[in-house]
Order: sequence, then structure tokens, then C-alpha cells
Amino acid sequence: MKPLRILLADDHTVVRNGLRLILQQQPDFQVVGEASDGREAVRLAESESPDVVVMDIGMPNLNGIEATRRIVTSQPKVAVAILSMHTDEGYVVRSMKAGVRAYLLKDSAEADLIAAIRAISTGKSFFSPAIRKLLQEDFIRQLEDNEVEDTYDLLSTREREVLQLAAEGKTNKEIAAALNISLFTVETHRAHILQKLNLHSVPELILYAVRKGIIR
Amino acid sequence: MLAGFGGLLALMSVAGGDALWILRQAKRSNAAMRRTFLVRSHSLDQIRSGIYVSGTLARDYVLAVDSATAEQQRNKLQEIHGSTEAALSDYGRSLNVEEAAAFRSLSAEIHAYWKLVDLMLAPGREARRQRSASYFYNQLVVRREAMLDLADRVAQRNEREIAAGEETLDVTFDAFRLRLIVILSLTLAGGIGLAVVTARRLLRSQKELEALSMRLVNAQEEERRTIARELHDEVGQSLTALAMEASSAAVLAKDNLEFRERMHSIQHLAESSMNTVRNLALLLRPSMLDDLGLVPALRWQAREVAKRTGMKVRVQAEELAEDLPDEFSTCIYRVVQEALNNSVRHAHARSVRIQVSGSSSDVRLAIEDDGDGFDTRNARGLGLVGMAERIRNAGGHFQVDSSPGHGTTLSVMLPLNGRKA
Repeated sequence: MKPLRILLADDHTVVRNGLRLILQQQPDFQVVGEASDGREAVRLAESESPDVVVMDIGMPNLNGIEATRRIVTSQPKVAVAILSMHTDEGYVVRSMKAGVRAYLLKDSAEADLIAAIRAISTGKSFFSPAIRKLLQEDFIRQLEDNEVEDTYDLLSTREREVLQLAAEGKTNKEIAAALNISLFTVETHRAHILQKLNLHSVPELILYAVRKGIIR
Repeated sequence: MLAGFGGLLALMSVAGGDALWILRQAKRSNAAMRRTFLVRSHSLDQIRSGIYVSGTLARDYVLAVDSATAEQQRNKLQEIHGSTEAALSDYGRSLNVEEAAAFRSLSAEIHAYWKLVDLMLAPGREARRQRSASYFYNQLVVRREAMLDLADRVAQRNEREIAAGEETLDVTFDAFRLRLIVILSLTLAGGIGLAVVTARRLLRSQKELEALSMRLVNAQEEERRTIARELHDEVGQSLTALAMEASSAAVLAKDNLEFRERMHSIQHLAESSMNTVRNLALLLRPSMLDDLGLVPALRWQAREVAKRTGMKVRVQAEELAEDLPDEFSTCIYRVVQEALNNSVRHAHARSVRIQVSGSSSDVRLAIEDDGDGFDTRNARGLGLVGMAERIRNAGGHFQVDSSPGHGTTLSVMLPLNGRKA
């Protein structure tokens, strides 16, 4: 079986060593490089073409969020997982808008980290339970605060199905097969969903799905 | 400065003293002059009337029928002679150069007149008769006329003198007025100069104080940022690594149950320390402010306050440009922090609304609570002074609207002045 190629980016050697130890216990994981700042991470992501990057946010030269944005822009196939001490919603939202697929806290269980890496390597998303809870609560509070109606109610049943599958990382073709509809219909549904929810990109769609508790 | 004020005061007191002295002198010399004039006028009048009366007496003497009457007239004449002489010498005592000549001819004339009268008064009825006509008409009357004329001239002189005295007084007063004007102008100019210098100095020291306070605030903020970063990144990461190591070690232990438990307790300890350190760092200065910008930092703060106190905090913020000057982000963040603190602690508010909006020229902030409110006229303190200071340092405007029972609204405007928003 082809190993999962992983790049570690954290400015603390001790943390990188710890991560390496944990990840190497998985027989199909292979740590292909270590970066100690954002710029090095961008460079190594280009030269090594890893499947997954495990990224810290607070790093010198270039922070993890910016590094993610650059990596995802130049290599859309690379999945980035943030492993951070920041539990604030602002960091999570910013990271997700930059194209992050997983957001984990540094005190997460090892099992979560491993599960997250596996999930994002197949196009899915993964968030620490605490982060998921945070995003959902915040979403509800924002709706209350701004006294706006939940645009989710505007979606049809079929559109909700498409939204969930898309947020789970399925391609349009996979969605079409799963729902037994044409590819063109899937594309139309997608466009309507983005318009109704006022979303502009896949990362925003995933963020919305997490906030609504549609995906875990 | 001290010398300036001292000099000004000295100048004013000297001017005042000088003015008083001059006024007193003028008054004194004026009084003296008038007294002299009156004395002289009186003497002159006495001389004049003496001479008139003497003419009449001389005639009566000449025409007297019996020698007893003649004798009586003679005695009267001699009496008048004496008083005239006395008046003459009175006048002579306060004499000045100008009228000396006129006075001398007057007194010579008077002396000659009295000699004539004496001659006429020589005893003997026959002699009286003989001499009477010629003396009286040819000499006595002529002399008397000349003498009266002289007396008039002396009186004129006297009058002229008092006129001259008044003129002198006028000149003195004019000089005095000029002097007073000069001194007053000097005092005024000195006062204005001193006021300008003082105002400038005050302004400068105020500016220095403001600059100092700004430096202090900035230094404090920088220090907080550094300590927060160190705590969060260095200490926090080390604790993370420690927790990870402990976790890995526990895995390695396999069958040794006690060792695994110890390792897990180390891990948990490290994790709880990490939380403490993280919270401490966030309290000092939230990393969002530097990493994510003002609005995410404000939202975080709002959530934290709501969680801690139960007060409802709403943040309404348009997406502000991320490169808002650091000075402004920090200023707004700290002002909101202080305002929320006030709303909870002093106003007992149930909800607070924070609005931030930006344009190309300024950033505006409004914080509204539904708390107790206060009278803005007599409430300073409450951290308002500190807020106002921060905002002034950033070059902005600050407005507090509140009244008891009607909540409080703080409004802030920070002009960008060409700085990038």
C-alpha cells in the first residue's frame, strides 16, 4: 500500500519530535519533511508534494494560516491540518477560509490526530469536538444577535443532500452517482446552494456545514 | 520666569510710587503759589488803600480849621504810613527777579510820597496854609497817581506770575502724564510678553507630558505583547511537548500500569498548566489582535466577557481592513475592554452593543450599554480619563453621553489622516 506522505510544520523541535513519534507508530504514515517556519513549510510542500501537512499557526516569518493559503492555492491536492493551541473561533474561521481541512487543538487525543489525517487525505474534514461545538454555538449566537433568519430554511431537501455530500469532500461526479442524478443537475444545485447561503468557495461551504452541524 | 514676574511687579510699584509723589509735589507747590499770591495781593491792596486814604487825610489835614483836628489827622496819617510800610516789607519778602525792578521803583515812589506827606505835616497853621495848595496839587496828587500806577503794574506782575505758575503746573502735569503713559505701556508690554512666554512654556510642557504618556502607553503595550507571546509560544509549546512526551512514554510502558498512570498524570498536569498560561497570555494581550486583526479580537473579548459575567455583548462590525494601524487596533481594543469593564462593574448593564465601522478617512467606534448611567458633569474616573488619554494619543475624538437611568454611550472617532486603513 502506498504510504501517506506527511509534512510537519512547527517552530518547536520538541513538538515536531513528539508528533513524529506518534505518527510513525502508524505503519502507513511517512513523515517526509519538517519545517520550522511558514516559509520553509511552503517551500517543502512544493518540493516534497506531501499528501497532508500538519501545521502550527504561531510560527515565525510566515504564520500557519498564511502558509496554508499559499500551499492550497498552488497545490489544491495538498490537505492541511492545523494543530494549534488557539481555541478561538476567529482563528478557526480564518484558517478554514484559508483552505484548512482539519483543525485540532494541541491537547487533542492522539487518536483524533490520526483520524483527522486519514480523513483529510480522502477529501473529508475533521475538527476537534471542542472546535465543532464552538463553531456551532457561535453560529447560533450570531443568528440571534443579528436577528436574521437562518438561510438553511431556504434550501430544498435535494439541495440539503447535495450540501452535505459536498461538505464531506465528495466530487460532483461522486455526488451524482450517490444521488442517482445527472452531473449537470448536481452543478445546478451547487450553484443555487452557494447563492442562497451567500457562500463563495468550498472552504466557506465546509465552514458553514460545520457550523450548522451538518458534518462532523 | 520668576525674574520676569518680579521685575513686572517692581516696575508697577515704582510707577505707582512715582505717580503719587509727583501728584503730592504738584499739589504742594500749587498751594504754596496760591498762598504767596494771596499774601501779595493783600499787601498790595493795603498799600493802595493806604495811599488813597492818606490823600484824603492829607487834604483834611490841610483844610483843618483848628490844630486839634489837624493833629488828629496827622496821627491817623502816621498810623497809615506804618501799616503801608509793613505791607511793603511783607511784599518785599517774597520777591522774584522779574518784579524786583518794578517793586523797587514802587517802594522808592512810596518813600518819596511819605517824605512829601511828612514835609506837609510840618507843624504850624500858617506853614500848613502856605504849603498846602502847592504841595497838595502840584506834588502829592501827581506822586499819588504815579504810585498807584506803579502799584497796578506790580499787581499785574503778580497776576502774571500766578499765570506763569499755572503754566508751570500744566507743563509738570503734561510731563507726568507722558511719564505715566510710558510706564503703563512698558508694564503692559512686559505683562503681555510674560504671558506669551508663560503660555508657550505651559503648552510645551503639556506637549512633553502628552508625548511621555504616549510613550508609556506604547511601551506598556509592547511589553504586554512580548510577554504574552513568550508565554503562549515558548512556555505553552514546551508544555505541549511535555504532554506529548508523557503520552508517548506511557505508550512505551505497555504493561507497567503504575508507570503509565504516572505518565498520564504528568500529561494532565502539563495540559492544565498550558491552559493557565494561555489564559494568562490572552489576558495580557490577545494574540488575535496581532494574528487576526481587530474585529476577531473584539468578538473574542465579547464572548469572554459574556461567558464570565452573563452580560449580553453584541459586536457589530463591518469587515474592517486588516492593515488598520496597530496603534488604532490597540487603542480601540483597550477602550472596549475598559468600557465593558465599566458596564459590568459600575453600570450593572444587562447588555452592551459594540459597533465598529471604517471609511477611507476614519474609524468609528460606539459602545452602548443599558446600565445605570451617570451624570457626565461630575463623574470623572471610572477609567474614562484613561480612555480619553489613549484616544487623544492616537489623535482621535472621544465623547461620553450618559445620564442616570438612561445608560451610557461612548463614541470614538479616529481620523486616519492619510494612514492606510
